[in-house]
Amino acid sequence: MMQSSPLNYRRVFLWIGRIVLAGSFIYAGYAKIRMPTMPQRPPLPVALSFFAMQVDSYQLLPAWGVRFVAHTLPFAEIALGVLLLIGWELRIWTTLVTLLVAGFFFGVVRAYFKHMEINCGCFGTPQPVTIMKVLEDGGLLVLMAAMTVFAFIEARRPHPWTEKA
Amino acid sequence: MYRRKLLIAGLIVFLGVIGLGSARAHAGGAGQSDADSHKAFGSKSAPITMETFSDFECPACRQFYLNNYRLVMENYVTTGKVYLVERDFPLPVHAYSTVAARYARAAAQIGKFEAVQDVLFQNQSSWEQSGDVDGTVAKALTPAEMNKVRVLAKSPAIDAAIEKDKALGRQYAVNQTPTTYIHFKGQTYPVVGVVSYDVLHQFLDQLLAQR
Repeated sequence: MMQSSPLNYRRVFLWIGRIVLAGSFIYAGYAKIRMPTMPQRPPLPVALSFFAMQVDSYQLLPAWGVRFVAHTLPFAEIALGVLLLIGWELRIWTTLVTLLVAGFFFGVVRAYFKHMEINCGCFGTPQPVTIMKVLEDGGLLVLMAAMTVFAFIEARRPHPWTEKA
Repeated sequence: MYRRKLLIAGLIVFLGVIGLGSARAHAGGAGQSDADSHKAFGSKSAPITMETFSDFECPACRQFYLNNYRLVMENYVTTGKVYLVERDFPLPVHAYSTVAARYARAAAQIGKFEAVQDVLFQNQSSWEQSGDVDGTVAKALTPAEMNKVRVLAKSPAIDAAIEKDKALGRQYAVNQTPTTYIHFKGQTYPVVGVVSYDVLHQFLDQLLAQR
């Protein structure tokens, strides 16, 4: 049986982070597409155009940008969640997810400090943008940044399967 | 081997999260119940009902009104696609919003709600500083109409109607303005904040396509 790399805190952090974040991202994408809290699940075009209104309420993007984000982000979230979960090419996907989360964080912080009365839209259901939401997204960004750094560090370390016999 | 275990663990977490999401209750809305006929527009048999909780002193409400009101009225209300209900939700942080709501509702009693709503939102930055709601509303009405509105605005029935809207808003868990509830086939879609007409009409069209 092939020997695995020795356990260290970075690998534990990466494992836990991947499971938690993968679950969050997959659910976030799913919730936007299927709106599970509705008594009857609306059709996909209705769900995506409803999400478009939540994106639009941030008043960051032009109409075409809103439509593009609304029609791609939920699927991208699910795909990124799955990729994080299986751990393939972790450096690439953690970097991408960190940039995505940084974008969310920027949007939420801007909305909070401009006292914009909107819903976060993060999980499809209404969630006001409060200081708790800002802290939550900030925490998520820190977690993702740490995971990205650890993924790069772990990738550079020698592993048993790379050692020459 | 480890990746397979991780995948299984992740699927368990994912299913758990889905289960949590499904357990959340969704507060459906009353839709057309108790709609003040003077502040409701269009046909009650329209497939979509749009209920907007608004505060005349709220800048976001002003923007929502300027972005959408006329276009929704022209393209959806008058064509029988949307029944539009305007509800008052004056916020305690706004000093004159309740006064403005009283005047607007009083104007609604004499069929002048739209004119007063327009003049209040167009001149919001002025009367929110000066508190001169009366003078602002007077710009949109004749002296005779203004006299009627002044009397009606003091009526306890007007305050009761505003409180009824606020109570309904609290039932819906409205905590921000503008908040719009779009009712279609027994489903309620909450829209919080300002949206552009471009995006709003796409949503309305998608709903109508499901008829």
